[in-house]
Amino acid sequence: MIEITIPKLGLTMESAKLARWEFSSGDAVKKGETILVIETDKVSFDMPAPSDGIIHPIVPEGTTCAVEEIVGYLAENREEYERIIEEHPFAEAEGTEKVEASQAGAVSQAGQPAAVLSSSPGPKGRIKASPLARSMAATNNLDLSAIVGSGPGGRIVRADILRVLEEAPAIAGERVERPPEEISKGIAIKEISESIPIQGVRRIIFDNMYQSLSQSAQLSLHTEACAERLIALLERFSRDEGKVSFNAILVKISAMALRLHPKINASVEGDNIRVWRQVHIGVAMEANDALIVPVVRNPDLKTIREIDYEILELIQKTRENKLSPDDLANGTFTISNLGFADIDFFTPIIRPPESAILGVGRITKKPSVRNDHVIPEARIGLSLTFDHRIIDGAPGARFLKTIKEMVEEPLLMIS
Amino acid sequence: MSNREISCSTALREALEEEMERDDTIFIIGEDLVAHGGIFGQFEGLPERFPGRVIDSPISETCIVGSGVGAALTGMRPVVDMHFADFVTTGMDEIANQMAKIRYMFGGQAKIPMVLWAPDGGGLSAAAQHSQSLESWFVHIPGLKVIAPSEPSDVKGLIKAAIRDDDPVIFFQHKRLFAQTGHVPEDEYIIPIGSAAVKRPGKDITILTYSRMTYLCLEAAEQLAKEEIDVEIVDLRTLKPLDFALIAESVKKTYNVLIVHEACLTGGFGAEIAARIGEELFDYLDAPVMRIGAKDVPIPFSPVMEGFVLPKVSDVVEGVKKVLNR
Amino acid sequence: MKTSKKEKLSLFKKMLTVRAFEQKAGDLFKQNLIPGFIHLSIGEEASSIGTCSVLRTDDYVASTHRGHGHMLGKGADPRMMFAELFGKATGYCKGKGGSMHIADFSVGILGANGVVGGGFPIMIGAGLSIKLRKTDQVGVVFFGDGAANRGTFHEACNMAAILKLPIIFVCENNLYASTTPSEYTLAGGSVAGRAAGYGIPGHTIDGNDILEVRNVVGKAVARARKGKGPTIVENMTYRYRGHFEGDPQKYRSTDEIDTHRKTSDPIERFKKHLQKEGILTTELEEKIKKDVTKLIDEAVQFGQDAPLPRPEDALEDLFVNP
Repeated sequence: MIEITIPKLGLTMESAKLARWEFSSGDAVKKGETILVIETDKVSFDMPAPSDGIIHPIVPEGTTCAVEEIVGYLAENREEYERIIEEHPFAEAEGTEKVEASQAGAVSQAGQPAAVLSSSPGPKGRIKASPLARSMAATNNLDLSAIVGSGPGGRIVRADILRVLEEAPAIAGERVERPPEEISKGIAIKEISESIPIQGVRRIIFDNMYQSLSQSAQLSLHTEACAERLIALLERFSRDEGKVSFNAILVKISAMALRLHPKINASVEGDNIRVWRQVHIGVAMEANDALIVPVVRNPDLKTIREIDYEILELIQKTRENKLSPDDLANGTFTISNLGFADIDFFTPIIRPPESAILGVGRITKKPSVRNDHVIPEARIGLSLTFDHRIIDGAPGARFLKTIKEMVEEPLLMIS
Repeated sequence: MSNREISCSTALREALEEEMERDDTIFIIGEDLVAHGGIFGQFEGLPERFPGRVIDSPISETCIVGSGVGAALTGMRPVVDMHFADFVTTGMDEIANQMAKIRYMFGGQAKIPMVLWAPDGGGLSAAAQHSQSLESWFVHIPGLKVIAPSEPSDVKGLIKAAIRDDDPVIFFQHKRLFAQTGHVPEDEYIIPIGSAAVKRPGKDITILTYSRMTYLCLEAAEQLAKEEIDVEIVDLRTLKPLDFALIAESVKKTYNVLIVHEACLTGGFGAEIAARIGEELFDYLDAPVMRIGAKDVPIPFSPVMEGFVLPKVSDVVEGVKKVLNR
Repeated sequence: MKTSKKEKLSLFKKMLTVRAFEQKAGDLFKQNLIPGFIHLSIGEEASSIGTCSVLRTDDYVASTHRGHGHMLGKGADPRMMFAELFGKATGYCKGKGGSMHIADFSVGILGANGVVGGGFPIMIGAGLSIKLRKTDQVGVVFFGDGAANRGTFHEACNMAAILKLPIIFVCENNLYASTTPSEYTLAGGSVAGRAAGYGIPGHTIDGNDILEVRNVVGKAVARARKGKGPTIVENMTYRYRGHFEGDPQKYRSTDEIDTHRKTSDPIERFKKHLQKEGILTTELEEKIKKDVTKLIDEAVQFGQDAPLPRPEDALEDLFVNP
C-alpha cells in the first residue's frame, strides 16, 4: 500500500489546494498516469501515480492541504483495497463507496488489480470520452470536464466536440452575426456567449489580485524620465555582443535602486516588517492568456548581460510550460512593462508578499523643455505602486526618483 | 472492355486454364476431380485439356497435401484441392508443420510454391463438418499466406497471383459463391496478394469484411443508406499479409469500425484486426471496434438453426447502428 | 549388386565416419555444447550408408529425427552439419533447424522431419513430381518401426502403389519406438509384411549386413527407376544409444544392448568380411580411422569457429516474397 501525499514542489512551499482527483475510489491506475491535480499560489501541478494500483482518495477536492499530508492511498491489489476503504473512509459525508464489478469487467484474482467500475462515480470521476474526442479536445484546448457526452454511458464523442466548437464564440476580430431586429429593438438582450470556469492559473491570479488590494494600502506615483541615455546604452550593447532587452536594464536599475532604498525591499509578516537581505525581481509576462511572473535572482550581483540571459531563459521556459515553482518563488520586487501597448502610466497591483511594483510605460519621442527650448526627446513613463502601510509617500517618491535618475544617467547604477 | 459477367466457378477455371497453359509445372491434385471436374464443377474441362495434370487421389489428405509439399520442393507448382476446407484437419500436420515451416526450418534452402485451394463456408445445410470457416487457424501459423476473395474478378486475379507466388498460399473460396456472378475483365490481369479493395465508398463507418460476408454487407449498406447512414465497405481479399494501409486510410476517414466475418466470433480473424486497430489507430476511433461473427457453436443442420447461427444482414445493420450509437 | 574393392573400402570408411560423427555428437551433447535434443544412430550404419550408396546424387531422400547417417551417406558435409547442430549461422539451415530439421537440398535430402511419419507424404509429392517431369529419379523415405503405425505410412503406401511412384520405403526397424518395443506395437509383427496389403513387394532383411542392404535396396531402386513402382524394405537393425541422448532407457536391459553389439555390429561384421577378402589390413584400417578422426575433428572445429546468427536473423527466410 502506498500513501499518496502532497509533494513539496518548491523550497518555500508549505501547502497546496487539492484541486481535482482524476480518478475515483476503486479505479485502477497505471504508474505515471495523472491521479491528482494540486495548485499552489504559483503553479498548477499534475501528480502522477507512483506505481500501478487501485486508488482510494480520502480528502475531497477543494481542500487546502499541508505539504506531506496524506490525501489518499494506492492499493496493490483488490484485497488490500478492501482493507483500506474500511480503515480510511473518505473524509466527506459520501463515506465508503461500495464497489461493484461491472458485467463486462475482469474478474480479479489474488494479487491482480482488477478493473472495477464504482457504482457511484465519486467526486468528479474519470471522464469517458472516445480516443478521437480526446485528441480533438486536446487540439482545440477544450476542457472535457465541461462537455456533456452523448455517447453510450455518457461518453463524449466526436459529435459532442464538434457541437462545442460550433457553439464557441467567434475568434477575436470576427463579428458574430446578429439578426437585424435584435439590434433595432429597444431591449438589451443578454445571452451567454461563452462560459469559462475560473480555475487553475486564472483562479490563482483571481485570488491573489483581490487579496493584494484588499489587504494592503496601495497608492501609485507617476513620473517621466528622459530615455535618451537608456537608448544609447541599448545601442552600445548591441554594437558589442548583441542586443540586450530593455527589461534587463530596468531590472538592473531597480536592483541597484533597491540597494539604496532597502526598506522598499521588504514585506509585512504578521506584526513585523521584514526587510530582505537579498533582492529578487520578478518580471511580469503573459503566457497562455494568463499572467505569470518568473523571478530573476540576485540581479544586483549580476551584469546586465547575465540578467538578460536569465530573462530569455525564463521566457523560453514560460513558452514551453516548463517553469518550476522555484522559478516563481521568493521575489522581493516586481517590474511590469506595458510599453508595448502604448501605455504611458498605470497603477500596477503589488504582488503579495512584496511591498512595491514598478510599472514601465512606453518610450516615445515627446516635446521636452531644455534650457527654455522645446526639443524632441525620447521619454519613458515610470509608475510605482507601493504599500503605504510600511512605505510612506516620501520614501516611496525618493525611491522612484532614484530609478528615474538612473534611467536618465545609467552610470549612477555603479555609484 | 466487354461487360461479361461470369461466375466465381468459371473465373477459377479460366484462371487455372490460363496458368496451366503458360506453365507446365502446374498440376492439380485432389479427390474426385477427373470425372466431373471437381465436386463443384470448378475444374470442368481441365482434365481433358491437360491430360495427366489433373490427378485424382485416394482419400488421403496427408498425401494430398504432402503431394503438394513434395512436388513443390522438387520443381513443380502444385494446386492442391482440399475438397472441403473442413478436411484440413486430416492433413494438418502436412500444412502446419511441413508446408508452412519447411522453407524456414531449412534456412531458406527450399521454397514451396504451392496453392492449397479449399472451399469453405456454411449456409447449405451441410452441417458441422462441411460448413466451417477456418481462416483464423492459418493466419496464426507463420509461413503461410491466406486469401479469401469474394467476387469472381477477385477470384481470378488472386488465384493467378497465388499460383505464381513462390510461397505457400491457402486459398479459401466460399461454397455459396461458386454460382455468384460478377464482372470479370477479358484481358489477363493479376491482383497482387496483400491488397484489399473498397467495394463501397462511404463516410460514416468502415466495415471490414471478406468472402461471402462482403455481399451481406453490401446488402446491409443499401438498407442503411435509406436511414442516411453511409457505409464504407472494405473487402480485405487477402487476410495475410493484411492490407493495413488501406484499412488505416478508411478508418481515418470514418472513425468507426465494424468487422464482419462468417467464422465464429471468438478467436476469429476479426479479433486480430480489432486489436491492431486499437494499437495503431487508437486516436482515430470515436467508438470501440465491434465484430460480427457466427455464434460460437458448430454449424447446425436444420436451416432454421443454421440461419440463426450464421451472420445475417440484420446483424450487420444492427452492428453498424450500435457502433454509431444510433 | 556388385561392389568393387574400392567401393567396399569407401563404404567401410563411410560407416566409420557415421559412427565417429555420432559418438562425437554424443560427447559434445554431454558437455552441453549442443542445444536441444539429438537422436543418435550408432549401430545402424549399414542401413543408412548401404541404402544411400545405391542412390544417385539427384535421387531424393526424406530423413528422420535419427538422420545424421542419412545425411552423411547421401554426401552431406560434416562441417556444415556440426555448424547446424551448434546452431550457427553457417550451418546447413542457418541454425534454424538443428539436428531434427537438418537438410541438404544440393544432394537431394529433402530434410529430416521432427514429426514421426512426416516424411511419407512429402516423398509422395517428390515421387509424383518425378513422374510428371518424366525423369528416372527415385526417392527413398526412411522411417522407423514406430512410423509404420502412422496413418501417413498407410496412405503413402497406398498412393505410391496406385500411382506406381518411384519410391522405396526403407524401414530401419531397431525394435523400439522410443520406449515401446515393436513386439508390442507392430500388429502383424512385420513392416515388410504390410506390403502385400498394398500389392507391392516387401522384404525383411538383416539391416546390419551392408552388402545385403545394397543388394535388396539396389534391386528396389532399379525397379522404381524402370517405373515399376514402390517397394518396402525392412532393415532389421539395432541402436545402442537411447531414443535421445539422455534417455534413461528403462525399457531394455544393458545385457540386450551388449549382446547386439557383440554379435551383430554392422561395422565389425563388415570389417571381418573385408579382412577375409584381404581388402583390409591393419595399417589400412589405422589409416582410415585416422582419416576419419581428422575429418570429424576438423568438422567440429569448423562448427565451433562458425559465427552465431544475429538474433534478428530469426525473422528471415520465412517467405520468398515477404
